[in-house]
Amino acid sequence: MADTSHGIGGLTYDKKKRSLPGELNIFLAMIIIVVIFEILGQVLPYMNGQSFLFDTQDRFDTIFNEARLRIIILQVSIIGIIALGVTQVIISGGIDLSSGPLVGATAMIVMSFAQTELVNGNPNPKAVFGPWAFDLPVIIPVLVGLTFGAIIGSINGALIAYTRIPPFIATLGMFLICRGIAQAWTRGQPVSFPTESFAALGKGMMPVFWFVGLAILMHIVMRYTLHGKHTYAIGSNEDAARMSGINVKRHKVRVYMIASMLAAFAAIVLSSKNLTAQSGMGIFYELYAIAMAVIGGVSLTGGRGSIPGTVLGAMVFGVIQSGFTYVKLDAFYQLMAMGGIIIAAVVLDKMRQERAAARS
Amino acid sequence: MKKIFLAAGLSALMMGGSAMAQNIGASIARFDDNGLTIMRNGMTAHIETLDGVNLQMEDAQDDVARQLDQINNFIASGVDAIIVNAVDTNATEAMSNAAAAAGVPLVYVNRQPVNMDTLPDGQAFVASNEIESGTLEAFQICRNLRAEGKSGGARGYLMNGQLSNQAAVQRSKDVHDVIGMDMCNFMELIDEQTANWSRDEAQDLMTNWMSSGEPFDFVIANNDEMAIGAIQAMKAGGIDMADVQVGGVDATPDALVAMAAGDLDVTVFQDLAGQGAGSIDTALKLAAGEDVDKTVFIPFILVTPENAAEFQ
Repeated sequence: MADTSHGIGGLTYDKKKRSLPGELNIFLAMIIIVVIFEILGQVLPYMNGQSFLFDTQDRFDTIFNEARLRIIILQVSIIGIIALGVTQVIISGGIDLSSGPLVGATAMIVMSFAQTELVNGNPNPKAVFGPWAFDLPVIIPVLVGLTFGAIIGSINGALIAYTRIPPFIATLGMFLICRGIAQAWTRGQPVSFPTESFAALGKGMMPVFWFVGLAILMHIVMRYTLHGKHTYAIGSNEDAARMSGINVKRHKVRVYMIASMLAAFAAIVLSSKNLTAQSGMGIFYELYAIAMAVIGGVSLTGGRGSIPGTVLGAMVFGVIQSGFTYVKLDAFYQLMAMGGIIIAAVVLDKMRQERAAARS
Repeated sequence: MKKIFLAAGLSALMMGGSAMAQNIGASIARFDDNGLTIMRNGMTAHIETLDGVNLQMEDAQDDVARQLDQINNFIASGVDAIIVNAVDTNATEAMSNAAAAAGVPLVYVNRQPVNMDTLPDGQAFVASNEIESGTLEAFQICRNLRAEGKSGGARGYLMNGQLSNQAAVQRSKDVHDVIGMDMCNFMELIDEQTANWSRDEAQDLMTNWMSSGEPFDFVIANNDEMAIGAIQAMKAGGIDMADVQVGGVDATPDALVAMAAGDLDVTVFQDLAGQGAGSIDTALKLAAGEDVDKTVFIPFILVTPENAAEFQ
């Protein structure tokens, strides 16, 4: 990943490659997958002709099965928030493997500052700290979590920018450190019973609200601000970016810091949604977040990709996951099918890129 | 490595210091598993009540190779007995052989070794009988449904734990067996899927199920975390928890709170702390050369709102 001189184009990256057509392709792929599930629903004898996305039993006001639409996006929102940060890391030519364990560690720490004193009139059986830490205003755990994320992220960034070790190694080390923190925090005990105001952060469709809101914010940042432009520039050609006066080192620290803060925020929403924090939380999240970005057209060689693409990549995941349950696919085959679909999506995207390159 | 040398040196020192001191080495599949943590705490708490027994606990981090290394290191440092909570129950043969060759007693705890029938002398298995848990759970759900007058037909879902886990497979089989009984064959499974023991995955799975709009009367989960995830999803979906029978296994603190709130109807208490303590006692007996049954069962206990207070 250090070798970015073979990256696409120079500092003036090809704008066409990150505008609509790419995302349109992912959207079409998603439609195709939906159509496949709809056909399976009609063909498989045990499905009784139930539709995947449409309301065949007249349960909703619209023609859609609204419950299905909601769960499709809800189940990918939290990993989706991580994927937003991972997207800008990968565009800058790096990778972040530490996000999954960071979710576990942040959840444990945050939940310790979000506990209530009484559970159904009894003292909280899972209390981590003394009485001073009970019933704190919700802003305290949130700030603690974001600060922790910012610290971990800036360590990641500083290691990569200043000691110049590969991002894969730096964040792999952080991967282990964070899982260790998660386990050591309470020596493996789960932390539960948050305050009502903390529980409100991830209640119902709140994860979707955060995901969409943060996606819009990150889209504006990546597309219309200097931060975004510099990120694409560094990912396309780091040497050229440096020579044209971008402070590459400082910028990298900022990129990793933002990524870890988003992962920390995902942990806050996740622990609030589940009303518990456990040291094993976030297993494989880093890989799913990277997969969402890659399905969404983000290139692992850097310099190419977009936030809307990643959001669509997340949606593809959601559609597949719901579709598997919808067609009652035997759980023993689900991982295999998921892996196959991820590979197929990236292969198709690669072929499309090469065709586009040949045309121009 | 340094840690192992240190542990070896330390245990040598301890043995030198007190001729009577017993040293037990324990290798636990993973330290961050909730249930295993309760078991670990049961072991440490029990050790503190015993004089002259030292316990050295290692985290196998879900790695079969690492676990075997740990056992060999225990043997090398001359422990009096070894306790193993197996990472992979299919990989226990090598562990049994290593311990038997060195003449060190070995106790498997919580997870049943594959070589159960051929365990060498001086080795035993301490656990609860997994057939009890799923059966107790499903049968109580069946009785509750009957009591609600639903014996004409009830439909529901089954949430599996990790598919590679023997307890999950057994508990699900128990549920199928109970549903196959004459008294409970009015129950019908709409679908069964895995939620990997996880509350988060269970929430999403339940919401996916509910999105099909099929009415259902019960949800049986292989553990409490998944049952709680299902409850959270059902509540978010506006389902009255009085209309649905929900069952789990473990009787965790979170589950007992859900039961007190009237959301969870059935759970089963696996005395994990008791298993931990039992494994220490069995190891000490074997080290003293006493006769021990090959299998030491710590019973499961059915928990319903009537007796839930005893477990809090």
